[in-house]
Amino acid sequence: MTDVKAYDCDYENKWCPGCGNFGILNAMKKALADQEIPPDRVLIVSGIGQAGKTPHFLKCNYFHGLHGRAVPVATGAKLANHDLNILVNMGDGDCYGEGGNHLLAAIRRNIDITLLVHNNMVYGLTKGQASPTSAHGFVTKAQPQGVAGEALNPLALAISQGAGFVARGYNGKMEHLSRLIREGMRHKGLSLIDILQVCVSFNHVNTAGFYNERVYELDESEYPVDDWHRAMDTARIWGDRIPIGIFYKKETESYTDRLAGLKDGPLVNRQFDPARVAALISDS
Amino acid sequence: MPIDITVTIGGTAGQGIQTVGDLLAGACHRSGLYLMVVNDFESRIRGGHSFMQIRISDQPVAAPYHKVHLLVALNQETYDRHRAAMDTSGVILLDQEEAASEKSALAVPFTRLAKDAGGKIMANTVAAGACLGLLGAPESIIKEVLKERFGEKEAVFENNLNAARKGYDAVKDETVDWRIDWPDEESKGRLLSGSRALALGALAADCRLAAFYPMSPSTGIMINLAEFVGKAPLVVEQAEDEIAAVNMVVGAAFAGVRAMTATSGGGFSLMTEGLGLAAITETPIVIINAQRPGPATGLPTRTAQGDLQFVIHASQDEFPRFVIAPQSINQAFETVIRAFHLAEKYQVPVIILVDQYFNDSLFIAPEKLKVPEQIDRFLTTDADMAAPPAYKRFALSESGASPRALPCRDKALVTVTANEHGEDGHISEAVADRNNMVNKRMAKTKNMRNEMQPPDPYFGDSETLLVGWGSADGAIREAVDRLRNENFDVGGLVFSDLWPFPEATVYEALSKCKRFFTVELNSSSQLGWLIREQTGLKFAGAIVKYDGRPFLPNEVAVQAQKMMGGRDDRR
Ligand SMILES: Cc1ncc(C[n+]2csc(CCOP(=O)(O)OP(=O)(O)O)c2C)c(N)n1
Repeated sequence: MTDVKAYDCDYENKWCPGCGNFGILNAMKKALADQEIPPDRVLIVSGIGQAGKTPHFLKCNYFHGLHGRAVPVATGAKLANHDLNILVNMGDGDCYGEGGNHLLAAIRRNIDITLLVHNNMVYGLTKGQASPTSAHGFVTKAQPQGVAGEALNPLALAISQGAGFVARGYNGKMEHLSRLIREGMRHKGLSLIDILQVCVSFNHVNTAGFYNERVYELDESEYPVDDWHRAMDTARIWGDRIPIGIFYKKETESYTDRLAGLKDGPLVNRQFDPARVAALISDS
Repeated sequence: MPIDITVTIGGTAGQGIQTVGDLLAGACHRSGLYLMVVNDFESRIRGGHSFMQIRISDQPVAAPYHKVHLLVALNQETYDRHRAAMDTSGVILLDQEEAASEKSALAVPFTRLAKDAGGKIMANTVAAGACLGLLGAPESIIKEVLKERFGEKEAVFENNLNAARKGYDAVKDETVDWRIDWPDEESKGRLLSGSRALALGALAADCRLAAFYPMSPSTGIMINLAEFVGKAPLVVEQAEDEIAAVNMVVGAAFAGVRAMTATSGGGFSLMTEGLGLAAITETPIVIINAQRPGPATGLPTRTAQGDLQFVIHASQDEFPRFVIAPQSINQAFETVIRAFHLAEKYQVPVIILVDQYFNDSLFIAPEKLKVPEQIDRFLTTDADMAAPPAYKRFALSESGASPRALPCRDKALVTVTANEHGEDGHISEAVADRNNMVNKRMAKTKNMRNEMQPPDPYFGDSETLLVGWGSADGAIREAVDRLRNENFDVGGLVFSDLWPFPEATVYEALSKCKRFFTVELNSSSQLGWLIREQTGLKFAGAIVKYDGRPFLPNEVAVQAQKMMGGRDDRR
C-alpha cells in the first residue's frame, strides 16, 4: 500500500489554522494512497478560492485555473486524455455560483471527473460574503440584514438532473470522506461530492459543533443507493439531522465512452498521419 | 475581351437562392473560369431579403464588383432593390408570374416550365438553366453540374436535367453583351469558403479538440470541422458557453493536444479571462475571432474589421500574443497551421482575425492545400531532464519559454496556476518572482516579433499607398489596379501579421511613400492609429466603412482618388 506521506509536499500551507480544508486534504491523500495512484498519475484541476489552492498542498500534477472554471478545464483535459485520473477542487461560490452553468453541463455530459466541492457556505478568500449555499438570514458584512434569498441545494439539484454519483461528506469525518472520494474516483462518470467544510474565520453558524451534533452517516446496509426518489427525499433533509454518505449512484456510459472521436484511444496518444490527413482534405 | 461578369441571385431566405447559385458557380468552376461568391443574408431563417453574388472572370477575383450584369430576381423585392446597381448592359431575369415592365427584364416562366418538367419545386433549376443559357455555357455542362449535385441514377437528376434544359432553351434566342466564350479547362483551384479553409487548416494542423459556442459568423468553421470527427483524431465539442469553450481548450492543450476555439466579438468578450489564463499558464491555444459589427449583438450576419484594437489588448494586464489576419483563402488555411506552430513554439495564445465576409464567401484557392509532413510540438519529457523530480514548468530562460512537459506522462510533475507564481508553478507574491515572471513572459516578444511577416506590398514603391489588413486585401489590390490604369501613382500595403507589431518592416515599407491612406471596415481607422502608435508615421487619410458590407474596389478607388485631390497627382 502507498504511504500517504508520498503525497506530502513542502510548499507552505496558506489556510487558516483549524480550517476544515485540512480534513479534506487528508481524506484526498488517503483516498489516493488506498488506490495506489502515485502523485505523477494524478491531475488535480481547481478553481479560485481557499478551496482552489488545495492542489498546491499535495504532491500531484495540477492546473489551478480561474474562479468558477475548473470544470471546463477538467473536461478539456479529460477529452484530450481520457486515461487521466482527474480530481477537481472548488469552493461553493466557485462551483455553484460563478461556475454554475458548467456544473449543469458536466452533469449532462457525465464527464468522468471527481468533483469535490468544499462547501463552507461562505466566500472564504474574499473575506466572508454570502455564497449560493448560505442560509436565508445568514449575516455578513456584505449582507448586514441577512441573506434575502434562499440557499441552493446542490445535492437535490444534481440528483434532479440525473447525476450518476451524488454524495455528501464532512471534513470532520476524514475516513468516511476518503471512502467517498475513493468511490467517486472509481465511479465511471461525473461524481459530485459536496463536502461540509467548517470555516473558522467567516462562518460562525455552521461550526464543527453544529455539524458534530447533527451529522449522521447513511446506513449502507439499509439505504438503497439507486433509489432516485429516496435520494431526492434524503437530499432535502437538513436541520437537526444532516445525512452524509452516497445519496445516489447509478452508472451510465461516461462522456468519453460516447464520443466517436475517442474510439481509438486517448487523443493525446494518437499519431499524426499526414498522408491520411492529406487524403481527408483532398477527398472532402 | 476580358471576362468580368457579376450575377446576383436574390429572394427571400428559404426560396432556393443557393440552388441557383451553386449550380451556376459549379458550372463556372468546372469550366476553368475564375470566380468568387458572396453570400448576403439577414439574421433570420425564413423571409427577409438575401442574395448571392457570383463574380465570374478569366482573371483571379478577390472582391465583389459594384455592378450587376445578370440579376435573377426570385421575387419583386430583389428586383426593386438591385435594379439601381444594374450595369448598362445588364439583364434582369425573372419569373413570368412576377410583373415587370422594365425593358431590360427578361421574363421566363420558371414555374410553368418546372411544372412541365415534373414539379414546381424545380423552378430554381429552370432559373439556373436560363442563366447558363444567357451566359453562353455549353449545354453539356448542365448535365455535369446536376450529376455532381444529385447523382446520375436518381430520378431527381432526370427531372432537374429536364427542368434546366427548359430554362436553357427558353433564352436560346436572347443576345447579351457579356456572353462568355466558355473555356474548357481544368478548374483553377478548389472553391472554398473562408470557414472551410480555416477548418481544413485546423485539420492539417493536427488540431484535436475544437470547442465552441455557436455564434455567427464563426459557427461555419466548426460545422465544417465536425465533418471529420471519427475520421481523424478529433473531438468537436459544443460547450455550454464561450467561457467553457476557451477553458476546455486550455485544459486540453495543457493535457497535451492541439486545441482551438472559434467565436465572434461577443463570445470573444466572454473569453477574455480565459485568454489571460492561457497567457499566465503559458498554455498554447488558438482562438479564431470571426468579426461582425458590434457592439453587443450588433449585426449578426454582417461583416466588420472592428476588433483589431480589442484583440490586441483584450484581457487585463500585459502579455504577449500573436494576432494574424489572413488575406486570402490559401493564406487562411496556412495561417491556422502556422498559428498552432507559433502557439506551441512560444507557449502563447494566438488569435486569428477573420470576418463574416471572408468566412461566408467562396473563393478559389489557387494553390494546393499542403499538410505539414511533421509537426513539431516543442515538448520535453523525463528523458530530456537530469532530474525529473526537480522539473519546474516555469523555469526561467532567456527566450522566455520554458521546457514544457505534459501532466501524467512521466515522473516530472507539471504544476501550473493562474495566480502569479514562482518557477515551480506555486503561488508566489514575492517581488522577485513577480518581476521574473513578467520579464519572462514579455521576453518572448522579441523572438515573436521576428516571426512576423512584413506587410505585403503591391506596387509598394508608389507615391501613395492604400494600407489595410486581412480580408480587405482583394478590394485594395483591385482599387490599386483601377487607379494605376488611370495613371495614378498608387500602390497597396496589406497586413496579415498584426501583433507583435512588425514595427521595423512597417516603418521601412511606409517611410518611402509620400503618404498613405488606411482602408478598414471600422469607423476610427484602428490600423492607422496602431501604425501611428508603433512607428510614429501618420496616415494622411482614412477610407472607412462600417455599414456591415464588404469593401467594393470601386468605392475604395473613388474615395482614394478624391483624397488624392483628383488629377493633380497623376504620373
Ligand atoms: C472572475 C472572478 N471574480 C471574482 C473573484 C474573487 N474571488 C476569489 S475567490 C472568490 C470566492 C471564494 O469563495 P468560494 O468559492 O466559496 O471558495 P472559498 O474561498 O470559500 O474556499 C471570489 C469571489 C475572482 N478571483 N475572479
